[in-house]
Amino acid sequence: MEYRSQKIAYWYFAAALPLFVLQVVVGLWLAANYTFTIPQSIVNVFPFSTARAIHTNLLVLWMLLGFMGGTYYIIPEETKSELYSTGLAWFQLIALLATGVTAIVGFLFGWTQGRPLLEIPVELDVVVVIGALVFLFNVAMTMIKARNWTAIQGTLLGGLVFLALLYLFGMPFYRNLVIDWYYWWWVIHLWVEGAWELVTAAIFAFVLMKLTGVERQVVEKWLYVEIGLFMFTGLAGTGHHYYWIGAPRYWLWIGGIFSALEPLPILLMVFDTMHHVKKRQEKIVNPLTWTYAIGCAVLHFIGAGVWGFAHTLPQINYYTHGSQVTVSHGHLAFFGAYALLNLMTFYFAMPKLKGIAEYDDRRGKIGFWTMCIAMMIMGLTFGVAGVLQSYIERVLGMGYMVAQGYMRLWMGVTMAAGVFFLGGLLTTVVDLFTLRPAKVRA
Amino acid sequence: MTKKIAFWIFLIGTLSSAAVFLGATYDTHRQVGALANVDKLSDQVVAGKRAFEKYNCNDCHTILGFGGYYAPDLTKVVQRVGEDGIRFRVKSPELAFANSPRKMPNQHVTDQEITDLVAFFRWVGEINNNDWPPQDSKKRLSRGEQMMVAKVGVSPGAAVFQSKGCMNCHSLKGTGGTFGPALDKVGAGMSAEEIEKYVRNPKDVDPDSKMPPQKDNLSERELDEVARFLATLK
Repeated sequence: MEYRSQKIAYWYFAAALPLFVLQVVVGLWLAANYTFTIPQSIVNVFPFSTARAIHTNLLVLWMLLGFMGGTYYIIPEETKSELYSTGLAWFQLIALLATGVTAIVGFLFGWTQGRPLLEIPVELDVVVVIGALVFLFNVAMTMIKARNWTAIQGTLLGGLVFLALLYLFGMPFYRNLVIDWYYWWWVIHLWVEGAWELVTAAIFAFVLMKLTGVERQVVEKWLYVEIGLFMFTGLAGTGHHYYWIGAPRYWLWIGGIFSALEPLPILLMVFDTMHHVKKRQEKIVNPLTWTYAIGCAVLHFIGAGVWGFAHTLPQINYYTHGSQVTVSHGHLAFFGAYALLNLMTFYFAMPKLKGIAEYDDRRGKIGFWTMCIAMMIMGLTFGVAGVLQSYIERVLGMGYMVAQGYMRLWMGVTMAAGVFFLGGLLTTVVDLFTLRPAKVRA
Repeated sequence: MTKKIAFWIFLIGTLSSAAVFLGATYDTHRQVGALANVDKLSDQVVAGKRAFEKYNCNDCHTILGFGGYYAPDLTKVVQRVGEDGIRFRVKSPELAFANSPRKMPNQHVTDQEITDLVAFFRWVGEINNNDWPPQDSKKRLSRGEQMMVAKVGVSPGAAVFQSKGCMNCHSLKGTGGTFGPALDKVGAGMSAEEIEKYVRNPKDVDPDSKMPPQKDNLSERELDEVARFLATLK
């Protein structure tokens, strides 16, 4: 830690981690809904839909907190100045957290906008927007006052502004369901395959640069190419969600072609990570942080790149659309691209915030490998269930519940893997909160 | 490659893709009226959409393939289970899914809201969406339909079976409801005459039967046909 105001990042991370744990606990309940028969009396008061809304909104909430904390950690070092206002950063943390908790409690009582992933009611959306504006103002003012512009800062700010703007498209009520879904994807797709990728690429470039000591000019050059490819494939690639919604037929071509190229920028990210690690100027002090960086690049590629590509072509997507195949891709991609990125940032920043140069990483390693292996298994078992569903329900045209019967076993295996994932996550969270200096190696 | 060239790659990549995307967005808005039958998008349909959102239906069910994967897709639900089938399931899920391993919550949806929901689903089912989902495509037949088509030469009762709401409770090859027993092998245990008698007044045959008697719903001819069709299922 070089600047005092960086300390605020710690509280963002500390808020994010318990929410991640809660997200996984609710996830296990969702898996139980697929595996066992839940009695009508429980379904009436706590239906799957409510639990799903909580599971997905917790994901968005903890990840945004992680991104914001990461941003507040990076900006002082990049601009070589203190944050514009730590007071605003505190205000915005509390506002976002309070909104998130209110929303989740509200879901339990049926207070919802009723649109998947965007369930937060409009009244609370307004608070989110105010919080986002305060955040952007704080970050932008820090940069403007410091006048030390770098490509990493530009990408980060650009990504965050884009992220906030897109949120607005999810707020209105749309009369026409087709238009509704059309703009719903401006939030969902353009977030995860646009704005979030920009933020991720910037944070990743910063951490890599600090870890490896590779020259800024080289890191930022690759950053430009990466985000250029992310934007080129990601923007028009939104079309792969428009195949079956009642949009014109040419979206099959636009979506098919652009999204087939979507793995390229991630592949480039894997290559330049490997390249930077090979050409490193610094010695490896905390191996686990490096493991997270490489793990993030590799699983980002597998989950988002390979799994995404696997069902993005219209000919395949016709059968897999809206099945557990999507769930398999969603879990692997979010974990690989964004959960690991956040955890990498936490492992990079938290020791420094606590003044620990070299941390004891024995528990952390167990956490990392347990989570990664468990998530790979979940990706595969969700995938098997999804292929069964696509074949039995869509190809053979047998009933929905017939297909679900064959999938049940695989959802049970997913649940078991989920228990291991939770174990790995708890180990990681406890480790992050109680980091200790490594014993001097004899 | 210099950093400057890299920056131009970023700029051209972003702007070219954005141009394609925004251009196609403009054109989509021009075409959506025809593709989604906006002339039929009445206030009642919109009221149905609001009810659909009010009860958070979309976090269990998909519609146009988006949403939760916990329950069947609703894009072609009118075609699949009929308007009465929708009413029955929303009104009394504890009955409709009594024998199903997966339940649907009873959210005490009002009758008016159910009527609106049905109008909404009817409108959604007519969207021209490149013939998705495949299991409801009229170009291909589901297993249940194939089975009925194979039998229809000997018994038009299959058509009666499908059009008179039998499938709200009963299923063939997994297509249909689960409140009543699956009828894939009903002919193995009952003759056409026994089926006819049972359908007219189930409690006469089995005092514990939960099936409502089919009196005005079926004509003599229809009952005769459907019974003969069912008797062939062995």
